[in-house]
Amino acid sequence: MENEEINLNILKLFYNLKIKPSDFINIYKNKKNIEDALKYFFNREKDNPKLFNENNNKSGCAGKDFNLLMQYFYKRAVFILNIAQDQYPVLLKEIYFPPPLLFCKGEKIKETGNLKIAIVGTRNCSDYGREVASHFSKELSKMGFTIVSGMAIGVDAAAHEAAIKESGRSIGVLGTGIDIKYPYENKHLFEEIIKNGSLVTEFLPGTPPLKSNFPARNRIISGISIGVIVIEAAEKSGAIVTAKSAIRENREVFAVPGNIFSDKSKGCHSLIKSGAKLVESIEDILEELGNYIKDPAYQNSIKLEMTASDKNPQYNHFNNSLLENEYKNKKNNDCAGYRNLKNFPDDDYLKIYNCLGYKEKSIEEIINTSGLDIKKVLQIMSFFQLKNIAKEKNFNNFVKINQI
Amino acid sequence: MFFKLDSFALMGIEAIKVAVEIHISNGMPSFTIVGLPDKSINEARDRVKASIINSGYKFPMKKIIINLSPTDLRKEGSFYDLPIALTILALSGQITSELFDCSSFIGELSLDGGIDPVKGILSMSEKAAEIKKQYFFIPKENANEAGLIKDISIIGCGSLTECIEILKNKSEINKHTHKNYIYPESDSNQYRIDFSEVKGQFRAKRAMEIAVSGMHNILLIGPPGSGKSMLAERAITIMPDLNFNESIEVTKIYSLIKRRKYGLIRSRPFRNPHHTISEIGLIGGGIYPKPGEISLAHRGILFLDEFSEFSTRHSESLRQPLENKSIVITRNNVSYTFPCSFMLILAMNPCFCGYFGDENKKCKCSIREVEKYWKKLSGPILDRIDMQIKLPRLKEEHFLENKEVENSHNIKERVSNAILMQNERYKDKEINYNSEARPDYINDWINQNQGLKKITADFSKKTLMTARGISSLIKISRTIADLEGENEIAENHMIEAFQYKISTII
Repeated sequence: MENEEINLNILKLFYNLKIKPSDFINIYKNKKNIEDALKYFFNREKDNPKLFNENNNKSGCAGKDFNLLMQYFYKRAVFILNIAQDQYPVLLKEIYFPPPLLFCKGEKIKETGNLKIAIVGTRNCSDYGREVASHFSKELSKMGFTIVSGMAIGVDAAAHEAAIKESGRSIGVLGTGIDIKYPYENKHLFEEIIKNGSLVTEFLPGTPPLKSNFPARNRIISGISIGVIVIEAAEKSGAIVTAKSAIRENREVFAVPGNIFSDKSKGCHSLIKSGAKLVESIEDILEELGNYIKDPAYQNSIKLEMTASDKNPQYNHFNNSLLENEYKNKKNNDCAGYRNLKNFPDDDYLKIYNCLGYKEKSIEEIINTSGLDIKKVLQIMSFFQLKNIAKEKNFNNFVKINQI
Repeated sequence: MFFKLDSFALMGIEAIKVAVEIHISNGMPSFTIVGLPDKSINEARDRVKASIINSGYKFPMKKIIINLSPTDLRKEGSFYDLPIALTILALSGQITSELFDCSSFIGELSLDGGIDPVKGILSMSEKAAEIKKQYFFIPKENANEAGLIKDISIIGCGSLTECIEILKNKSEINKHTHKNYIYPESDSNQYRIDFSEVKGQFRAKRAMEIAVSGMHNILLIGPPGSGKSMLAERAITIMPDLNFNESIEVTKIYSLIKRRKYGLIRSRPFRNPHHTISEIGLIGGGIYPKPGEISLAHRGILFLDEFSEFSTRHSESLRQPLENKSIVITRNNVSYTFPCSFMLILAMNPCFCGYFGDENKKCKCSIREVEKYWKKLSGPILDRIDMQIKLPRLKEEHFLENKEVENSHNIKERVSNAILMQNERYKDKEINYNSEARPDYINDWINQNQGLKKITADFSKKTLMTARGISSLIKISRTIADLEGENEIAENHMIEAFQYKISTII
C-alpha cells in the first residue's frame, strides 16, 4: 500500500470504526507490519458488523470525508507521518505508546540523524527562567541540536525563540490540532518555526486545547528527544509530567536549580533529589549525552566546538589556534564586562561598577554608596546597559550581567 | 417703534456680537423673545418685568417683541436680562442716554433689580474691545475679570438703578470706570505642596524635572504606594509661572464654566479626572459645547491616575488633541475650537494586583494576565508619550531618612531657564517646546554629530525602538541639554535620555 492509503486507512480505523490507537499499536508491534495490522482490524470489523456502523456515530469525526481532509492537508502543506514510515522519528517509535499518526508542518521532522533535546518549564516563569531557557537553547542549537518544546508561553516560548533565532531548528509539539494557534500570544512563533523547523501533533485538525491533550503531548516531547531539560517547574506541572515520561522511556533528565524560596523551583529540585542531573552549564549536559554524541549516526550533526575536553581529534576544531582565538574574541564581544574595565571613560564608572553586584541594587542605593549625583549615575547606567555590563531588573534595580 | 442694544453670545471660547432688538406696538399686552433663545433666556421675561417694577419704573402694558440677532444661532444663558430691561425702558421713554451706541451690555437681573454675575465675561470683554466699543456695562462682581482687557472701559453695576444712573450722566462716567487690573508678581508659595516631600525616587524626580522642562508627556508605572500621584501633583510646583497671555487663555476657559469673581488665574491648572468621567467630560462637548478636562488643563497638567481603568474610547480620543494642541467640537453645524495644550501625566500599576516586579511582595497575576493588562495601552498612545518611568515601592530606610532634598523653588529655576532657552530657539517658529519639535528640527540637532548618530543606532539596535521612539529620545536629550544650558546635544545627554525609555515594559 502507498503511504497515503495507509494514512487514510488508519484515520478510518480510528475515527470511523472507533478502534483505540493503543490497540492498534499493540497489534502493530506484534505483527511488525502496518498492512497486516490494518488487515487484521478490517477483517475483524467484517466479522462483527455491529461495530461497523459509519452513520450511527456520535463523534463529530464520524463519516467525515477523509478525502476532503487530505485535500485540506495538501493545501496547507500539512503532511502525515505514520509509524511505519522511515521518516517517523526513530526515538519516538521506541516508546511504550507512540502515536500511530503524526500531523506535521515544516520539513525538519523528516530529517533523521540530528539530535533532539527538549527544554520544558513553567508558563509563568521568572526572568531567570526565561534567561536560562534562551541561554541553553541558544548554545545547544549552536552545536547542532534541535530544540523540542511545547509551544506554550514562558519557558517554552523562550526556548523556541532562541533556537529559531540561532539556527531555525526547532520542533514544536502541540496539544491541539495543527491548524490551531494556541496560545495565540505565540502566533509569531507558529509562523517562524515552520520555516526551518516543524510543528507536530497527533490530534486531528480542529481539536481544541483540551486539558487531557497535554499529558499526551508531553509524552511526544520526551519521546522525540534524547533528553529533557527542566527549567523552573512547580511540583505539579506539565514539565514534571514530561520529565516523568522521559524517565519512563529511559531518556536523560536534566534539571536546572533555582531559588529555594520560589514555588517554581520545587519541581526541579525534587527531580534533582530523585536523581536527575543538576545542570549549570552546557558541559553538564554534554557529559551525560556522550554516547549519543559519539554515535556515528549523529556525528555529522553535532559540532563539539564548546567541548574542548573532548579528546577525539576528529571533532576537535581547537587544534587550529587561529580558530581558537577567533572563538575567544567572539566570546569577548558577547560579554564585554571585565575587559572593558580599562576602557571606562573616567573613574566614576569604576566607582559605580564596584557598587554593582549580582544582587539587585536600586538607584537610590547606588547613589548613596557612590556619592555621585543622579544625572551621572543614570548616564553611567545607560552606558553599562548599552555595553551589556549591567541590566535593569524588576523596578529600578540594576545587576551585573553574568559572564556565562 | 424700534430700538436696539449690543450684547454678546458665547461660541465655544470666543464671543460674538448679538444685537438685542425691541419692537413695541399697540395691541394685546404681551412679551415675546425670539431668536432661538433657550429656557433661561425665555424666563428673562419674568425676571425683567419684576426687576423693572421693583426698581421703581413702569413696565409698558403693550405688545413687546424682543429679537436676538443673529437669529439662527442658538443662544443660552442669562446674559441678556440687562440689555432687555434697558431697551424696554429706553423705548418706553423712561430713560435716555447718549451712551447707548458706544456701549454694550451684559448681566443677569434678580427680582429686586440687582445684577448678578455671568459666565464667560473675559471672552466677551475681549470681543467688545475688538469691535471698538467704548464702554462695557457688566455685573459688578465680574469687573475684576473683564478688566483684564485694556482697550475698553469696564463699568461694573450692582443694580439696574445704578446702571441707569451711570447711563444718564455721561460726563461723570469716568468716575465709575473699573480700574484696569494690574498683573501681580507671583508669589512662590502659592502651592502648599513641595517637591522635597517626595522621598527617594531620585530617578523619577529627575525625569519629572525633564518632562516639565520640555513639556514631555510622561507615564509613571509603579506598585501602589510608590508615590506616583504625589509626584504628579507636585509637577505643577516646578512649572514656571504663567505669563500674562497664557494666564488670559486659562482664565478665559475657566470663565466659561464658572461665574468667577476673581481676576486672573496665575497658577497653572492641575486636573485629575476620575476614570468614570464621560467622554464629553474629558474632551468637551454638550448641546452648548463646554470645554472638557483637556481644555481645563490648558497650559497645565492633565493627570490620569489609574490609566488602565480608563476605557479605550477615552484613551483613544486623547490622540488627536495631543497632536493638535486644540480640539474642534462640532454641534448643530457649528464648530467650536477649544485650546488644549497640556502636559499629560499617566499613572498606572504594573499589573492587575499591582505588584508585578516588586521585590518583596508577590504578584498574583499570571503572565497572560499581565500581558492582557498592558494591551490596554495602545501603541499610538504609547507613541505620544515621550517618557516612561518605573517607580519601585519605597524602602523603609528611604521613608524614614531625613536627608535634605531639593525643594520646588530650586528646581523651578532650572526649569524656567530651560524653557527660556526653548523660547529663544523657537522664537520664529510655530512651536514652543521641545516635545513639539518636528522631524526636520530633530534631524538638524543630531546631523552634525557622528557620535550621537552612532549612539542612536546602538540604542535602536538594542531596544528595537521605533522611529518615533528614537525621535522622542532625541527630544528628551534636547531638553536635558537645555537644562544644562548647552546649545548642542552632547553624548552624555543622549545616553541619559535612554534611562527614560522602556521599550518593553514586561
